[in-house]
Amino acid sequence: MLRVFYFAAVLCGLFSSAPVLALDVDPQTYGYPITNPFAATLATTPEALRPKLPEDSDIDQDDYKIQLHPERAFELTDNFWPVTKMGYRLARQKGAAPLVFIIAGTGAAYSSSTPEYLKKLFYGAGYHVVQLSSPTSYDFMVSASRFATPGVSTEDADDLYRAMQAVRAQHPELKVTDYYLTGYSLGGLHAAFVSKLDETRRSFNFKRVLLLNPPVNLYASISNLNKLVQTEVKGVSNNTNFYDLIFKKLTRYFKQKGYIDINEAMLADFQSSKEALNDEQMAMLIGTAFRFSSADIAFTSDLLNHRGLITPPDVKIKKSTDMTPYFRRALTCDFDCYMTEQLIPMWRARYDGGSLNQLIQDVSLYSLKDYLHNSPKIAVMHNADDIILSRGDLGFLRSTFGDRLTVYPLGGHCGNLNYRVNSDAMLEFFRG
Amino acid sequence: MVKNLLLPSLLLATSLAHAQPDSEKPAVDDDGFKNPLQELKFRPGLDQRVFERSTLEALEVYDPFEPINREIYHFNYRFDEWVLLPTVRGYRWITPDFVEDRVTNFFNNIRDFSGLMNSLLQLKVKRSMDTTARILLNTTIGVLGAWDPATKMGIPQQREDFGQTLGYWGVPAGPYLMLPFFGPSSLRDGTGLLVDFETEGSVDFLEFASISMDTLPMTALWAIDLRKTTDFRYGQLNSPFEYEKIRYVVTEARKLQIAE
Repeated sequence: MLRVFYFAAVLCGLFSSAPVLALDVDPQTYGYPITNPFAATLATTPEALRPKLPEDSDIDQDDYKIQLHPERAFELTDNFWPVTKMGYRLARQKGAAPLVFIIAGTGAAYSSSTPEYLKKLFYGAGYHVVQLSSPTSYDFMVSASRFATPGVSTEDADDLYRAMQAVRAQHPELKVTDYYLTGYSLGGLHAAFVSKLDETRRSFNFKRVLLLNPPVNLYASISNLNKLVQTEVKGVSNNTNFYDLIFKKLTRYFKQKGYIDINEAMLADFQSSKEALNDEQMAMLIGTAFRFSSADIAFTSDLLNHRGLITPPDVKIKKSTDMTPYFRRALTCDFDCYMTEQLIPMWRARYDGGSLNQLIQDVSLYSLKDYLHNSPKIAVMHNADDIILSRGDLGFLRSTFGDRLTVYPLGGHCGNLNYRVNSDAMLEFFRG
Repeated sequence: MVKNLLLPSLLLATSLAHAQPDSEKPAVDDDGFKNPLQELKFRPGLDQRVFERSTLEALEVYDPFEPINREIYHFNYRFDEWVLLPTVRGYRWITPDFVEDRVTNFFNNIRDFSGLMNSLLQLKVKRSMDTTARILLNTTIGVLGAWDPATKMGIPQQREDFGQTLGYWGVPAGPYLMLPFFGPSSLRDGTGLLVDFETEGSVDFLEFASISMDTLPMTALWAIDLRKTTDFRYGQLNSPFEYEKIRYVVTEARKLQIAE
């Protein structure tokens, strides 16, 4: 009889010491319809397969502004008047409820489509929701960032943390039971660093933290995105314009829609027509959106810090100033250029930084490996065909997160966030 | 005996099912990564300036009144944020959704009159007939346009404005204009806007005297409804170069609308 117990004990020991495996969603049963990662990234999920979300008119929400840097109102040039205060959106439930902070992805504002979608999802499930702009978006850089040179993840997380504390201070009447945190894309990386910071500052004691399609190696992800504008696009030679090819197909859609947002479900119709874009064209389009973000970052950081690389230091920008020359200069500066000309010099001067490899190590998920490995409250959802990942990144996530990592077979970059299977899993994780 | 046969055949079937999809797909890494970039064709290293060249070309829009346009852009931005949008919010708060929808439909019906005129002027037969049918249906069954039975019957609204008509007959866009209150336009399209307002203002169907577009409350309601139904927000692109981006997109979109 005793032997049975020994045997059971040995078995238990065996199982508990075996590595915990990530949850790999079976491609056969997953049912996500878009198999092309670029199409998934651009078009996201077809309408019929999205979760049921509350209507805007059923959400008690408002946009607010907080002054985090009062001195900036006097220092900033005229063209920055709309963003001297940090904007955010708060959706509140009637009574006491848990609150979710949502951190937007690269260059995205709190009001862009993915944070809006996540807000509706969590609001519908009974959470208060606060949407925050990405530290790489121009409004956050101007109004909330201390150094306005995004890219050092610990500092970006610190800026976010201060912003979150200010948001809470602005709504003392809001009854919050617990705090939750999520972010997608670059916002996912930021969420990890914010969570780490919260372990020492203890302002929120996040109950659960969800990272959606985060970059693992920030520099590798940026290189991937930079490379996308270097694809060989059919029909574009040295005398034809890439935009003439693609923008014409898209502007019709934008105008009819009435507003412009590059990651909305716009390609679904195109892709079934004979005008369908091929992989290179779609890659170019994704890369273009990233290059525009890079240009905004390079320009804003340079101007706020008076570095004189894009805007000459003696130029006083007024509302009527022709910005096109600066836009041109910023557009030729990709993220690599921003890193070498602005980020690395700042990082070296301020933090006694060293080589590029050291910076990459410090700002990527690698530097949090032990913390992430030992924090059961943090989970990751990622896609096997995500375009911001590189070789070995999934392996790192598997060994770091174990069974707190879910790998979906399809979806590209964030294309399946609004797929019903994914949204159910997201809500389920927060429910605990 | 049957059991003995079943097991091997099941095993065979499952192994086949596993083997099949793998043969077509590109290589997958050990950790499950599909490396989506490996299939892309890239340009050779010294010829990678397509993005820069294309974008810098796209920035060339004829905009001789740029300084004043930019001032108006900032004025519109503020007016929108401080006056127009709060008014729309107040209107939506006071007015029941049911009434709001009736108002929107009513003005859409009036817009169909200028749409019809412009479709005719562009010799678009099908569109003119559709729009005529819409006006007839919506003005009668739809009670002066308050309801939109035509859309339900499969005739959705297709807008045509006088700027498009001018473009159709070969009038160039002219300099880019940022109109006060109305936003991005061009000399041609701004002129077209005035003509369309004149057309819509003179609509006096069924001699229904109490509905006149020229009274102040009516104009105010029209403006609020127009803002409510327009999704555009200043600052939406969240970029220090929003002016340039809007300018390019609006210019291109007009070209397309005219070509369509």
